Amino acid sequence: MELRKINRGQMEIQQMAFMILAVFLFFILVGLFFLGIQFKDIKKNVAQLQTEQAISSLKVIADMPELNYDSHESMTLDEDKLRIMSGNLGTYYSEFWPVASVKVYKIYPKFNERVKCPALNCNYFEIYDNGQESMKTYSTYVSICKKVKETGYIYDRCEVGKLVVGVITNEAKK
Amino acid sequence: MIKKKGQFNFVWLFAIFAGATILVLAIYGAINAGNSMRFQTDTEIAKSISIISDPLQAGFSEGSFGKILFKQETRINNFCFDGEFGKHTISVSTKSDIGEEWKTPGEPVPIHNKYIFSSESNSGKEYYVFSKPFEFPYKIADLIFLTPERYCFLNAPDEIVEEIEGMNILNIETENCTSEDAIRVCFGSGSDCDVKVRGSCLSGCKSIYDFGSVEKSGSQMDYVGNLMYAAIFSDKGIYDCNVQRLMYRTGMIAKGLIDKADLMDARNCNTNLKIDLIYWNSATINATVNDLNGLHSIAKNLEKKNEGELCRLWN
Repeated sequence: MELRKINRGQMEIQQMAFMILAVFLFFILVGLFFLGIQFKDIKKNVAQLQTEQAISSLKVIADMPELNYDSHESMTLDEDKLRIMSGNLGTYYSEFWPVASVKVYKIYPKFNERVKCPALNCNYFEIYDNGQESMKTYSTYVSICKKVKETGYIYDRCEVGKLVVGVITNEAKK
Repeated sequence: MIKKKGQFNFVWLFAIFAGATILVLAIYGAINAGNSMRFQTDTEIAKSISIISDPLQAGFSEGSFGKILFKQETRINNFCFDGEFGKHTISVSTKSDIGEEWKTPGEPVPIHNKYIFSSESNSGKEYYVFSKPFEFPYKIADLIFLTPERYCFLNAPDEIVEEIEGMNILNIETENCTSEDAIRVCFGSGSDCDVKVRGSCLSGCKSIYDFGSVEKSGSQMDYVGNLMYAAIFSDKGIYDCNVQRLMYRTGMIAKGLIDKADLMDARNCNTNLKIDLIYWNSATINATVNDLNGLHSIAKNLEKKNEGELCRLWN
C-alpha cells in the first residue's frame, strides 16, 4: 500500500516534469520562430539601406573633388582625375567609399571594345572594387571632360559616360 | 484513500515554482526581445541619418538646408576618429517612457566620407541639417552641420545674414531673436554671449570674418572660410578631429592635382602650379587646427596663381 502511494507520487512528479519540459520546449520554439522572422527582417532592412546608400551615393561620388571636373557643375567628371584615381592614388581611398565598387565607362562616342585604364585609348576606369563576387549595380549618366589645347585654343572636350556603383552585401570579401 | 497533506503541497508547490519560473523567463525574454528590437531600430536610424544626409550635402551649390523629424525624442552620438581620412561613428538611442529613460545606443554606424559637425551627444525630436562647401583653395568637401538647437546671430555682417536668409535656415535667427532658449552667437563684440566670433581678415578679403576664431565654452577654435559655422555648431573635440581629417584630404587632393598637372603638361596645356602644390601637399597632409591661419595665406596665393593660368588645374 505504502509502495503504491510512493509510486503514484513519483508518477505525478514525472508527469509534472514532462509537462514543464513540454511548456519550455513550446516557448523555445515560439522564441525561435520569432527570432527567425526578426533576422529575416534585419537582413531585408540591411539590404534595403545598402541599396538606398548606393543610389544616394551616385551624386555624392560624382561631385567629389577627387573626380569632379568643375566644382560649380554637377555630374561632370574629370578624365585626368579618373586616370589618376584608377591608378596608384585610388589605393589610398579604399575605406573611403560607401559602396562596393566605383566604375566609370565612356559610352559616347561609341567604342568597339572596353579598354581598361591605364592604357592607350582606354575607355573604362575602375576606381574601386572591394572584391565582392555578386554585385547589384546602379548607374547614372555623367559628362567626362578634360582641358585640351589645340591650335592655340584651350577648350573643354567632353564625352558621355556612365558612373556605376555596386551595392555592399554581407558576402565575405575575397 | 487518504491523501497526505505533504504530498498535495509538494505537487502544488512544484507547479507554482515551475509556473513562476516560466513567467519570469517569459517576461525576461519579452524585455530582451524588446531591447533587441529597439537596438535594431536605433541602428537603422543611425544608418538612415548617414543616407539622408547625402542629398543634403551642398554639392555644387552655395549651401543647402533640411530638417530631420523623429517620432520620439532621439539622442544622436557623434564620435570622430582622426588619422588619415578618419571617420565618424554615429549611434542613436531613443527615449523610452518605460524603465531607463535612455537605453544603450544602437550599433555605431561608421561614415568615412562625411564631415559632420555637431555636439558629441545631443537629443531632440527635430534636427536641423545644413551644409556648406569647404574650399581651401579648391573644393575639399561639403561640411554638414547637425543640431537640434536654435541659434541667435547678433551683429552678424550683411553677407552672413544674406547667406542664412537665402538658404532659409530655420533654426538661425538674425537680430530681433524671438526664441528665448536660443544660443546667442555674437559677431565681434557683444554682451551675454554663449559663442563669440572674432574675424581677423584685414586685407584682400570678402569679409573680416573670412578667417578668425570662435570662442565657446572657454575654448578657442581657429577657422577659415565656412569652418566658421563648424566651430559654432560643434564641440571642440569634433571640430579639431574633423579639421585634421579635412587637412589630410586637402593634401591628398593636392597629390592628385600634381599628377593632373603632369597629364595636362603632356598635352601642351602647361601649368606652373606643380611646385606650389608639392609644397601645399607637404604643408597640409599632417596639419592640425593650429596651422589653419598660417595655411590661409598660402591657400590665397595658390588661388590667385590658379586664376592666372590659362589651363587651370581646378575651377
